Amino acid sequence: MSTLTKYSAIPYTGPAPTNREAYVPKEVAAMDARGAEIAAALPGVEQETGQDLPTFVVPKAHIVATLTALKSAGYTLPLDLWGVDYPAREQRFDVMYQLYSLEKNERVRLKVRVAEDESVPTGTGVFKGLNWYEREVFDMYGVRFDGHPNLRRILCHEAFQGHALRKDYDPAQRWILTEKDVAKIIPKIDPRFEDVDTDFERVTLNLGPSHPATHGTLRIVVTLDGERIIGADQEIGYLHRCFEKSCETHTYQQAIPFTDRLNYMSAIINNVGYCMAVEKLLGITAPPRAQHIRLMLCEFMRIADHLVCIGTNLVDMGALTNFWYLFQPREEIYGLIEACCGARLLPSYTRIGGLAVDAPPNFLEMAQRLVERLPKHINDVEKLVDKNKIFLDRVVGVAPITPELAIEYGFTGPCLRACGVPFDVRKASPYLGYETYDFDVPIADGGDTFARYLVRMEEMRQSLKILQQAIDRGMPEGPVIVDNPYVALPPKSKVYNEMESLIYHFKLIMHGIQPPVGETYFQVEGGNGELGFYVVSDGTKNPYRVRCRPPCFQIYSAFPDMIIGQTIPDAVAALGSLNIIAGELDH
Amino acid sequence: MQVTRISPGVVKVTAARMGVLERLVIPQVLAGMLVTIRHLVKNLFDLKQLPTISYPEVKRVYSERFRGRHILTSREDGTTRCVACYMCSTACPAECITIEAGEDERTREKFPVRYDIDLLRCVFCGYCVDACPEDAIYMTRDYEMAIDTRARAVVGLRDLVVPPNFPVAPMGWRPYYGGIEKKGTAGGTGLGQPLRSAPFEDDAPPNPDLYRGSE
Repeated sequence: MSTLTKYSAIPYTGPAPTNREAYVPKEVAAMDARGAEIAAALPGVEQETGQDLPTFVVPKAHIVATLTALKSAGYTLPLDLWGVDYPAREQRFDVMYQLYSLEKNERVRLKVRVAEDESVPTGTGVFKGLNWYEREVFDMYGVRFDGHPNLRRILCHEAFQGHALRKDYDPAQRWILTEKDVAKIIPKIDPRFEDVDTDFERVTLNLGPSHPATHGTLRIVVTLDGERIIGADQEIGYLHRCFEKSCETHTYQQAIPFTDRLNYMSAIINNVGYCMAVEKLLGITAPPRAQHIRLMLCEFMRIADHLVCIGTNLVDMGALTNFWYLFQPREEIYGLIEACCGARLLPSYTRIGGLAVDAPPNFLEMAQRLVERLPKHINDVEKLVDKNKIFLDRVVGVAPITPELAIEYGFTGPCLRACGVPFDVRKASPYLGYETYDFDVPIADGGDTFARYLVRMEEMRQSLKILQQAIDRGMPEGPVIVDNPYVALPPKSKVYNEMESLIYHFKLIMHGIQPPVGETYFQVEGGNGELGFYVVSDGTKNPYRVRCRPPCFQIYSAFPDMIIGQTIPDAVAALGSLNIIAGELDH
Repeated sequence: MQVTRISPGVVKVTAARMGVLERLVIPQVLAGMLVTIRHLVKNLFDLKQLPTISYPEVKRVYSERFRGRHILTSREDGTTRCVACYMCSTACPAECITIEAGEDERTREKFPVRYDIDLLRCVFCGYCVDACPEDAIYMTRDYEMAIDTRARAVVGLRDLVVPPNFPVAPMGWRPYYGGIEKKGTAGGTGLGQPLRSAPFEDDAPPNPDLYRGSE
């Protein structure tokens, strides 16, 4: 028997080789030309060329004027606001805005550069939807927004010190929240009800964070006058795990399992969105077979997302039977996902450049069987509730939102379409070949809980229509992952038997994927709306910054406006219909 | 519900038009009852179609890609295939794998002296399997991993290594990128160390809850 030499586990710490190439987006010429046109109309604004969107660097004094000018020029939807930290620069923070024009189907990006002790004028006067985003940037970077109505931490708790997304913040640092530090939230009473004198006592009540009706850890504080809600405020962040910081300390490939946990009801859509953002940065596209499987699974996931949303929403209103009728097809969809990638809820199925493995040989038959079975379940629920007066009384006219307000808040997805705005990323900027499929975007009137139910029901049928077409087209032949040893692991049969492939295998795992230096944004239509990923690469194996635009975030920020004047049961019904997924909301 | 096309690619969904009778509560409740009674009758007379199963007497069969608890495979001479190259622990997004390498003095071959997986940290993403260049780590279809203490969640060589020629059929996630055949044993001489003898005697006692092994 030989003696054993013990080596300690030495993690790889050496400097990773760096990709020094600059990222050149495909559409750069058109975007630069378009950017020059827009910049001509904006005083004091400097255009930044070479980006994948018309991008402008705005001095902080001009930001409110620029936002107002862009809003009147049609850029009415505030999609996102986030920060990036470049500690080497004197003005170390980039505060970035992204606006969208529904008429022109066009996005613009604004950058405001600020130093550590500087503050930015708030944009909440122009777009209400920026309220929570500015709080998030304040929380994560410590950038102050002058004139913000309620500038306090949003995702991190009150005992948290420092700002988590700053590059000099140690990700291993933990902070413990004790009871004495918890902020007391007293919602502001809506001016409409301030002077109304009723015979009832005013009560402030906590709904959540651990409440069966909230489907996740959400805390809503409501002030009641009798049964009517006259003031509401929310607290979020109970599921905050700083997904974006975790991405910065891991490689591009390792971030895929983290994206599963955003909207865990439709995890594959998150995988696809993230991978396509990195693929855009790398300038590669997945093979047709991978795209086909991705599209089909995305649609199945969208259906699963809507099934859970409608099912749980109906449970909140006391209709438990529907929940079982809708959960059964969801289980069957998860069975298909499990057959593809071995996990039901958190699949991590996609890889950068394609898919982890090919779909099983009988994938199309399984999909066909599901597509045939699903309408029966949906129809059953429709028969149960569609004309049922008890259901209609609970939902029609409950928690409505006007299209104007919804756009100002930055709604996307089914909640925006329920207000009658036909915005769908799959139509507006098609990806994965959605432009070749025949499907319709369902809209409804009123923007109330009932409209959201109607839109989701129809959207499931449209998804089934897409799936039927995808099945009829058959699966394209070929590989499911790009043949590029700098992006995808070589096939195992080669790794076992060829030296070259073994070296590539080791190189890719040790040094990771190194995209060219640059920044990009890619958006997909998630279950709740536009799910965007903004990725900055500095040429190393770790992303410099990953920003996820969670669609729930802005939808939930409008929640008090929707429920004021309603009753608690209405608020519960409305919350279910918004489909707030805490994993995504709290990223 | 009614669906009307209002422009190319956009349809409007409106509430179903209802007659006088349909506006009343009782007829609609009865119509709903018909749906549930149909389900009840169908379930009563066709028990095989029931979507529920009586777990744990009946267990759900998962696919051959299921990402369950890990195993470490062995060569035919009984040595572990793992060569302690740290690929899996590098690829692991949850940082749940701890490896210590040892060296066989005669054959100059590396092998793991310690290989711990913290199942509470593990996210079961399968990256370790994808990263392994030696066909050494597989995931099984074993999903029953209930434990009573945190310490028991850390499984070592004792719980992970399976005997040679362990049947592949009950396995879950294993290398799928192309063929899975592995010719020869990379760098191996076949002399190696015997499994489950001297190096492991001072290990913690095996965890019967976690290891169900080959029986």
